[in-house]
Amino acid sequence: MASDIVLPGQPIPLPRGPVPQLGRGIYEKDSQVRASLVGIPRFEGSSLAISRIRPQPPSPNSIVLGFVTRLSPLQALLSITVVDGVPLPPGEEFTGVIRSQDVRATEKDKVKISDCFRGGDVVRGIVISLGDARSYFVSTARNDLGVIAATSEAGVTMEPVSWQEMRCPKTGKVEKRKCAKPEGIP
Amino acid sequence: MQSAFDRRRINGPEESSPPVFATEALEIPSGNAQKTRKGRNTSDIRPIFLQPGLISQANGSAYIETERIKIACSVYGPRQSKNTVYSEKGRLNVELKFAPFSCERRRAPLRDAEDRSIAVAIQQALLSSVRLEMFPKSTIDVFLVVIEADGIEGCIASGSIAASTALADAGIDMFGLVMSCSAAVVGTEIWIDPTQEESNLADGSLVLACMPALGSVTSVWQSGRMTPSQVLTCIEACESKCTDIHSVVAQSLLDSARAATTTNA
Repeated sequence: MASDIVLPGQPIPLPRGPVPQLGRGIYEKDSQVRASLVGIPRFEGSSLAISRIRPQPPSPNSIVLGFVTRLSPLQALLSITVVDGVPLPPGEEFTGVIRSQDVRATEKDKVKISDCFRGGDVVRGIVISLGDARSYFVSTARNDLGVIAATSEAGVTMEPVSWQEMRCPKTGKVEKRKCAKPEGIP
Repeated sequence: MQSAFDRRRINGPEESSPPVFATEALEIPSGNAQKTRKGRNTSDIRPIFLQPGLISQANGSAYIETERIKIACSVYGPRQSKNTVYSEKGRLNVELKFAPFSCERRRAPLRDAEDRSIAVAIQQALLSSVRLEMFPKSTIDVFLVVIEADGIEGCIASGSIAASTALADAGIDMFGLVMSCSAAVVGTEIWIDPTQEESNLADGSLVLACMPALGSVTSVWQSGRMTPSQVLTCIEACESKCTDIHSVVAQSLLDSARAATTTNA
């Protein structure tokens, strides 16, 4: 039963008992559980879902990757290219905005955007709200969020030295960034 | 005239007509003499060929062919809405274009007015089937190209089926698959799925779009002169045909989904 491909609108046969939590690609109408995507319904933990890997628009709490396109004293504009690990098709990027109060968790009032990001930096962030008509609000207020790749003024990829600094391996110059904690470091 | 004129295209002459050959017998539609259907039963539809996933650049696509109607449909998105106000729900944008060679008379690009009304009819047919609340601030673009046309009603019906299949292929959340069927009243008879020639003879015509899986109608588009009882008979006949079409669409979607899972594994 569970290995059959269902089509949008097709009722999903369920064992008797309480209806499980419904995940993506499944909806309930008139107390009948139906599919809304083409695929095989499977249990993911406690919820029943039809998972399908395809580019999706960002939603609150999704982890996004993007590069900085524009800076102002109050905010940094981001071009979101990867949502939850799935790259978006070229030309279909979403715009995100990191406001100065969302850069870090502490001393929010002392944040200077120019000491945290530069144009072209690749940033990992979390979507905190759908934002306004133009952009999604993105936050980097977590240890594992922030700049993950940046080039120095000499044009070389820099390495992080602390959560606020990155160093150019060619010139040894230190530049200020809000760095993401690299994975695999205790 | 100057405004709807694309200088980047090779613009043909204002008026042109196909050559008439002497050997070709000129068909003169003669009043009531031709009121029996040729080649098909009154309740038969044209055979359908449907292939999802034909256009590789698009997120989802479908190609439909019902005898002389050939339509290609591609779905892009959901992508960020440009220059629009904040909206909790997504937008469904449907655009349809006739190829210049699709009809008996040449379709002039840009100057054509019929494509927009057909696009609206297809959008209406699809709108209530798509779960737009899943796509806040986003737009789903559906582009249809009519490669060959044979009757406006048939174009709307086939276009809706192709678009719904393409949406399913793109992985857009839907309440159900939309099927569509047309019918025309010719004299006292009701002809299902009329061709261009047949709808020229008809008094009135109707296009029904419905979701057979849910048993709900998404749109009814009627034109011409029909009595209420004829309308109801047409709707019932179309609804039963939609159930038949649904099995065709379901088969083609299942085949392509199985092919996708085997290549991925």
